[in-house]
Amino acid sequence: MKDFMMIFLGEDYGDLGLSPEQIQERMKKWMAWNDKMESMGIIQGGEALHPEVTRISGKDRVIADGPFVESKELVGGYYVIKVESKEKALEIAQDFPDFDLGSSVEVREVMVFDM
Amino acid sequence: MKNQQLIDHLFRHQFGKMVSILTQIFGLNHLELVEDAVQDTFIAALKTWKFKIPEDPEAWLTKAAKNRAIDLFRQMNKSKIREVKFSQESIEKEINDYFLDHEIADSQLRMIFTACHPDLQAQEQIAFALKSIAGFSMREIAGALLTKEESVKKRLSRARQRIKTQNIQFKFPEKNEIKSRLARVNEVIYLIFNEGFHSGRKDVLIRKELCGEALRLCRLILEKETLRNDDSYALLALMCFHSSRLDSRVNENNEFVNLENQDRTKWYKPLIDLGQRAFEKSNHSKKLSTYQIEAAIAMEHVTASEFKHTNWETISSLYYALNKIHPNKFNLLNLSISLLMENKIEESKKVLAGIEEKDLEQRAYLYHSTWAEYHMKNQEFYKAAESLDKAISLVKNESERKYLIKKKNDLFLN
Repeated sequence: MKDFMMIFLGEDYGDLGLSPEQIQERMKKWMAWNDKMESMGIIQGGEALHPEVTRISGKDRVIADGPFVESKELVGGYYVIKVESKEKALEIAQDFPDFDLGSSVEVREVMVFDM
Repeated sequence: MKNQQLIDHLFRHQFGKMVSILTQIFGLNHLELVEDAVQDTFIAALKTWKFKIPEDPEAWLTKAAKNRAIDLFRQMNKSKIREVKFSQESIEKEINDYFLDHEIADSQLRMIFTACHPDLQAQEQIAFALKSIAGFSMREIAGALLTKEESVKKRLSRARQRIKTQNIQFKFPEKNEIKSRLARVNEVIYLIFNEGFHSGRKDVLIRKELCGEALRLCRLILEKETLRNDDSYALLALMCFHSSRLDSRVNENNEFVNLENQDRTKWYKPLIDLGQRAFEKSNHSKKLSTYQIEAAIAMEHVTASEFKHTNWETISSLYYALNKIHPNKFNLLNLSISLLMENKIEESKKVLAGIEEKDLEQRAYLYHSTWAEYHMKNQEFYKAAESLDKAISLVKNESERKYLIKKKNDLFLN
């Protein structure tokens, strides 16, 4: 079994002008996805992130506030799941609920270094 | 699945509640600000709940709205947008008080009276009610009212403009005004209901939402003792009776099913019971109002065990009474149908002869299909076919057209 991180990229919900009903619909889709993964027992963790970004960079450790990337590339949150293969992880990621908003999901294997 | 049911309608209903409470605190002048603030709260909920839903979603939203109200208050105080209503120290307690159950109900009622204010035009009233009480987005309102998003936008901004220029306050009407204001509230609620019930749209979901909102608003009025009135009870009854058969009006192929052919076992009994209880509470000792008569007619239909057991005699007399206080060609058309069902064929013809096709506008096809019924009763099948052809050429709704075509094809089979 391997751990995979699914990283969610997309525009901040606050900028999309969703109605209460649309918010509700979206939430339901996420819950359905969540329930599905929960029932498979594969969720290792996951969190949502605030849209504000502060970046420290360079040898001078320059501090600056975002945005730094295009709005569609903003990281909104992540899940870590435990499955047998990358193929399985990609299959799970097919159900990511925000594709219709132009969002995307990146699947990255968590590195394990065996001594 | 359980979690999903937990939040069904939660957001739409909470939106209306919270906008009302915050408007009560900050005043109608800041309605837009208030709506944005509530929207922000919901977005925050979406972002965090999608990973883990709180134990008590409603309490979570309430807490978030309170915090948002305190933020707003501090913000406004700083920029002196509003005069100080309560001191910095007591904000939390004061704001908490606005979230008590009876205060929430009061705020929502104030919003209803605002939406139905006589200074707003009918179109603006409906759009405003759907937005600020029912939490519909502009696009959803446009979809519900079969109009463009752009015109919904205009109606809403005109409504807000009028609230400002007329200095409309967020309060209950004066005692001597209550009766006339309630009459308008009932009208607006009934209009919202009819948008849902009678529209030709296929999207059953939107229609149910509209009917459900109308029912909810009517119940809000009736829960307040000082606002209870016979017409609201009758209106609630009427809407319950109609709603009970909402699902059976369209079959699995998305085709229209008329009253005669509806599966009566599918009618939703609890709504019929609720309707009957509401109907009994509406005082019938004086002359019946239009709502009361319409409710009585609807009740005759939903309480008949089979179509052939419908009490057409009572229905005809109710339509006579209805047309007397509210003369209207649609009432006459319904009367003529009811008379036909009673086999009072010549009496029906007399009534039908008093109507012209153009009186019925987009429902003119009903005029011809009623003539077809009349000819069928007289065994004049060729004339019936002619009338059905006219009806078919005028009908807009696809499933109703199919129904009429089938009827014509069946004419010569018996």
